[in-house]
Amino acid sequence: MDAIVAREVVKRYGSTVALDGVSLSVGAGEVFGLIGPNGAGKTTLVRALTGTTDPDEGEVALLEESPRSVGRDRIGLLPQAFLPADRLTARELVAYYAGLYDDARDPDAVLADVGLTDAADTRYEDLSGGQQRRACVGTALVNDPEVLFLDEPTTGIDPAGRRALWGLLEDLAACGTTILLTTHYMEEAERLADRVGLLAGGELLAVGTPAELIDEYGGESRVEIETAGQSTGADAADAPQLAADAAPLDEYTVEVRGQGLVVRGVGPREIGDVVDALATASVEYESLTWAEPDLEDVYLNLSGEGDATSDSRPREAIAGGDHQ
Amino acid sequence: MSRYARVRAASGAAWRAFVRRRVAVFFTFFFPAILVVIFGALVRTGAGGTGLFVREADYYVAGYLAVVVLQTPLSRVSSEVARHREGNRFEKLATTPLTRAEWLLAQTLVNVVLVGVAAVIILALVTASTGASPALSPALALAVAAGTALFCGFGALLGRLADSQDGAITAANAVGLPLLFLSETFVPPVMLPAWFRPLLSLSPLTYFSRAARTATAGEGAGIALAVLVALSVGFFLAGALAIPRTD
Repeated sequence: MDAIVAREVVKRYGSTVALDGVSLSVGAGEVFGLIGPNGAGKTTLVRALTGTTDPDEGEVALLEESPRSVGRDRIGLLPQAFLPADRLTARELVAYYAGLYDDARDPDAVLADVGLTDAADTRYEDLSGGQQRRACVGTALVNDPEVLFLDEPTTGIDPAGRRALWGLLEDLAACGTTILLTTHYMEEAERLADRVGLLAGGELLAVGTPAELIDEYGGESRVEIETAGQSTGADAADAPQLAADAAPLDEYTVEVRGQGLVVRGVGPREIGDVVDALATASVEYESLTWAEPDLEDVYLNLSGEGDATSDSRPREAIAGGDHQ
Repeated sequence: MSRYARVRAASGAAWRAFVRRRVAVFFTFFFPAILVVIFGALVRTGAGGTGLFVREADYYVAGYLAVVVLQTPLSRVSSEVARHREGNRFEKLATTPLTRAEWLLAQTLVNVVLVGVAAVIILALVTASTGASPALSPALALAVAAGTALFCGFGALLGRLADSQDGAITAANAVGLPLLFLSETFVPPVMLPAWFRPLLSLSPLTYFSRAARTATAGEGAGIALAVLVALSVGFFLAGALAIPRTD
């Protein structure tokens, strides 16, 4: 059974097309990650799926019903930029939302799940940014929902808090909760999501498992080098080109960028070819980094927001220093 | 039972959030007190034709009550709607069992308590400082509750139209001030131009003034109270429908 279905959903705000024929389905128990640049339509899609906005065209089904018909106790939502009532303690805040359901979880158990037991009696405005966000996540968990929508749940949370929440979401997924989350953190989508959808300009450009998307759209693994100069007396500015012209790199695609170069199609066993080329050209370098494509490369390639190489996350720093 | 539990949870949270705003609490009750002191004890009609008031002290009790019945719910609910919208709280609540009418009912209950306490303070002060002797009755309590509900609904409508908390407060003041003086509160109709007097009936606050005045005079509340209750139901429903989900 598909827990969430959208068919050719269109939503316009005046002349702006927020969603342009988006179709997707999320199976029961699946974790679906929605990534995309700001203004891509992620929040609008979440609103359409939860029934808090009506699509202009298309159909939406949530647990095989219209979003506004489905039992409120079956769904949970953490809206983007959610600011709950202040001057309530974390416990009071969670208890307030728990009080809206007939069969809610114990607020203290929810607070324990989101790691706020020690801060349960602290007022919301006195919590740290990460604690505030975790309290907000807690409000979406009070009814133990079958389908959970989380719109950028870890924004503003420190790395440790983020990983704690990831663990919680993994536990929920393991228990069969269907989760749709939007995020700007590719690492988060890659770790949590069974499938990922990339939304840009209101269109769903690609959907697949993280591995499928990386294989198809991530590009090649590569080595990035920042040169420091040339030991035989040539102009330092020529160093990248000298290295690029060296024989060991004949089989690779090489791109010179300022004082650096990018060698594409380099597997981990072929890094030596790059080092040899630098030695052959007597080029000194400050850093040499090997990177394999990841979801961020997919995002950048498909969204058109940047170049896959220039912003990609290095996976393995091989060496740094001068080559003599 | 479920509806009761939801409203209780929402009103409890709203109450706690309010009473912990010490400045807001202080001025909620200080404002009517200072109003009575200024108008009832200082500006009132004095011997030899001094002062601004032309009627006996009992006439103005309804006006003092109208101030809190109008301003407290109008400004609080309109700004609360704006605050909820800015924080995406309505989007969140739309996915819970709490309906918009229940949310507004919870806010109304909190305001009824606040206005009720403020009304008691006003009645005590006018009795002690102005020489008025207002009669207390269930009709007066009903008028205060109905008037508060009416302006909670009105506040929700303003909150829907305003684009920010500041805008909501400004709108509440802009609407509230003319209503306050053109609703048979402090300015008797005889002091207004004849052509304008029929327009007084268009102000919902007029019906509160009439109901409260007859009730404090110990004469029941009559038709004005019935109209006030009907208006409060209408404004409450309109306000509940006006509360946004997201867009």
